[in-house]
Amino acid sequence: MGEYKYIGKSVPRVDAAEKATGHIKYMSDLSFPNMLWGKIVRSKYPHAKILKIDTSKAEALPGVVAVVTWKDVPGLNGFGIVVPDQPVLCEDKVRYIGDAVAAVAAETKEIAEKAANLVEVEYEPLPLVDDPIKAISEDAPKVHEGGNVHLHTKIVRGDVEKAFEEADLIVEHTYYTGRQEHAFLETESGVAKLEEDGTLSVYAGSQYPQRDQMQLSRCLALNPRKIHVVSYPVGGAFGGKDELTIQPILGLLALKTKRPVKIVLSREESIISYWKRHPMIMKYKTGVKKDGTLVANKVEIYADTGAYASLGGPVLNLAVEHACGPYKLDNVYIDGYCVYTNNGVAGAFRGFGVPQVTFAMETQMDIIAEKLGIDPIELRKKNALRRGDVSPIGNKLTTSVGTVAVLEGVKETDLWKNKDKIEKVDKERPWIKRGFGFALTYQGTGLGIGLPDYGGAVLRFREDGGFIVGVGIVDYGQGTGTSYAQIVAEAMKCPVNKVSVILGDTDLTADSGPTSASRGVYTGGRAAIIASKRMMKILKEKAAELLSVSPEDLEAEGGYFYVKNQPDVSISYDKIAMEFLKTSGHLPQTEGYFLMPIADIKIKDAFGLPHHIFAYSGHLALVEVNTLTGQTKVLEGAEVVDGGIVVNRQGFEAQVEGGYVMGMGYGLMEDVKIEKGIFKTVNFSTYIIPTVKDAPKRIQTVPVHDPEETGPYQAKGIAETVMVATAPAITNAIHSATGIRIFKIPATSELIYNLLKE
Amino acid sequence: MKEIEISLTVNNKPYKLSVPANITLLDVLREKLKLTGTKEGCGKGECGACTVMFNGRSANSCLILAPQADGAEVITIEGLGNLENMHPIQEAFVEEGAIQCGFCTPGMEMSSFYLLTKNPNPTEEEIREGISGNLCRCTGYMKIIKAIEKASQKLNEKH
Ligand code: FES
Ligand code: FES
Repeated sequence: MGEYKYIGKSVPRVDAAEKATGHIKYMSDLSFPNMLWGKIVRSKYPHAKILKIDTSKAEALPGVVAVVTWKDVPGLNGFGIVVPDQPVLCEDKVRYIGDAVAAVAAETKEIAEKAANLVEVEYEPLPLVDDPIKAISEDAPKVHEGGNVHLHTKIVRGDVEKAFEEADLIVEHTYYTGRQEHAFLETESGVAKLEEDGTLSVYAGSQYPQRDQMQLSRCLALNPRKIHVVSYPVGGAFGGKDELTIQPILGLLALKTKRPVKIVLSREESIISYWKRHPMIMKYKTGVKKDGTLVANKVEIYADTGAYASLGGPVLNLAVEHACGPYKLDNVYIDGYCVYTNNGVAGAFRGFGVPQVTFAMETQMDIIAEKLGIDPIELRKKNALRRGDVSPIGNKLTTSVGTVAVLEGVKETDLWKNKDKIEKVDKERPWIKRGFGFALTYQGTGLGIGLPDYGGAVLRFREDGGFIVGVGIVDYGQGTGTSYAQIVAEAMKCPVNKVSVILGDTDLTADSGPTSASRGVYTGGRAAIIASKRMMKILKEKAAELLSVSPEDLEAEGGYFYVKNQPDVSISYDKIAMEFLKTSGHLPQTEGYFLMPIADIKIKDAFGLPHHIFAYSGHLALVEVNTLTGQTKVLEGAEVVDGGIVVNRQGFEAQVEGGYVMGMGYGLMEDVKIEKGIFKTVNFSTYIIPTVKDAPKRIQTVPVHDPEETGPYQAKGIAETVMVATAPAITNAIHSATGIRIFKIPATSELIYNLLKE
Repeated sequence: MKEIEISLTVNNKPYKLSVPANITLLDVLREKLKLTGTKEGCGKGECGACTVMFNGRSANSCLILAPQADGAEVITIEGLGNLENMHPIQEAFVEEGAIQCGFCTPGMEMSSFYLLTKNPNPTEEEIREGISGNLCRCTGYMKIIKAIEKASQKLNEKH
């Protein structure tokens, strides 16, 4: 790393000062003259036929400017990244309690709310579908006409039944995971506004402005070039703003009223209406030899995707792909179902199907280690995939594989080194038991095979000799924007503060694909390097011309070109900028596009699989369980992460710490409760996320790497893996503290209390 | 809704406003005064994103109705410091990497401000107590705690 000037350093976020001062304008902060407030009318039933929608009373309310229903949708009344099966506004049927039926725009928030209550909808309730396994049966009531199985993916390799016969130990359990809410602090909010030239501007925080533009163009029957989407800055997203949310309704209202319209969802509406992490039921049967060699894994997965597809299919496929963990297994049978129900909607969420299966597989591994009396690290090392190995689903791993580096790193953590010194039972409070736990995981970077997966960046030379880099990726907290500034600074040989970054704007940035799948730094970063190389060539030629030397004689550093061996003959970037302006009247601009490398084979009948590049991480937890109340406290955590070369050390730590605590919430407390299709936890008093008091005393963050040659400065990505294995590390620690096994998360006090009583 | 007249001081500037009696101080700040640095994360006193200084104490502005704010002294994030002249708390948040999406940041900083006003040398426990009403979904809180420790040092050095 020593050869880099900016890569690997701790650089404060490029937008930190603006955020620290409250100066930055989020989409929910925008207001325009003459602006109206919008309010969405949502279904009162989880599953019902719509018999009649009467908007007359709402329309008659003074101050109401427009009421829209399905009749007002000019284009396709459907959206969805994979299949557009979700109506913008429902016509004849509602499929979950948050389904949008109508919307109003009014002079004030208060009037909009009143008017929404005046929209009369007559429903005829339909039988509820709320159990994903029952929903599969032929005679179950149907959420969609085509049936309740949205996707069935099955991968079979080798012969599991034969291998089970040869196994010395078989571990078989069923696992359940909760419905986690993203709980970004900024709810889905924004403004749509019709510009004088007929362009529709849509300001709404999201993860992929160019795809929003495409989906909006279909729903609104508008040329995409007539839609300008701005989706940065965002007050958190974590996958929950990947799909469209309020944008099509905002667009409809602005088109109909010809005035700016703003919608800000209340926390309750946000929780009810949009995406969650898929709850999964997973049946695992794992066969292993006495010496710890894994020989077979049979897995059944049922993912509850709720009422609409969104990214449910790909989420299931990632669960299938990662179901066996980063281990060598030649006999696998993985059978996954992604099922429609009336339980809200589920979609993308940091980890994308992997946290669920990792909880299951890493609990299996912990049980195996215990039963065979093998050290948990050694067990994993014995089975760990290495570069050149074939993955459980059959693709050869030709890129960086960090399993061994991570496992070695784990041994160096303070938690691991001190794990045998833990005071297992508190001397003064003997009902307090302590334990240590560990889990390993990995996570595909990028979209996988068969999907267009590219990075794009546009680079503009600034008048002051600095640069502006524009990438469609959105930084909703990950720090991607700052990484781009560092990458361009490194490539253009200029200080980081000379690079400004524009993100998430369809007019000003290059399409770089979705901000998801831990792909932001990798794809946008590579594109930025390509754009920088082109820019460097142009600037160097100009500098050579001005200094009357040949470009090969020049070297760049710190915003200057020097003549090699004659360091006093130089020219600064700002002088070059001035020369460009003088001679041509404009400054050069370059673009870079980059296609993500893909695996050598496609997995049959498994769309998007396999992935080609993976990040790896080992998660550790020291917990304390109060055996009188069942309450668990994570005292200390640690993570060892291989995400390739770290671009920004401070950003790395921040992501890891944040991911760890989010994973802790997933493991111990978070689950949106839905009973008979009705949400029971719709605010932060009933849906509890970790506060600073729940957070561990310390989280040690350790980067290790198996360099990934194809990455920008050998970086991969870390955004997801850092949260994925925290839950099983904690539940394994609960086992080591108390002897009870956790097969269901969140492992709430109630659950643990009841298990202890048994 | 009935409109009422209120006078209040925000960031040392006096205002006289006519507002609906049922709107919150948060709405007064954001909608009427366009001070959008103060955020709404829940509207119910559960997240702390709307924290401001209210008559010398920190408070959730989403829980204060406009009539209660009549005659009040309010300091918002915009009054703490600005881009040209950041408050040491803001500087510390930037330097320590305590900001990610940034949506919780203004509220966090205002809670930190109140904490450090009361207690210039808080222990880690006291820091945790001081910001326990402020949710952050991005950072895992570690760097926020460090930032407050650093801000405390900076402020003590200044005095
Ligand atoms: S908005 Fe006031 S506490 Fe959440
Ligand atoms: S930085 Fe995003 S919520 Fe705190």
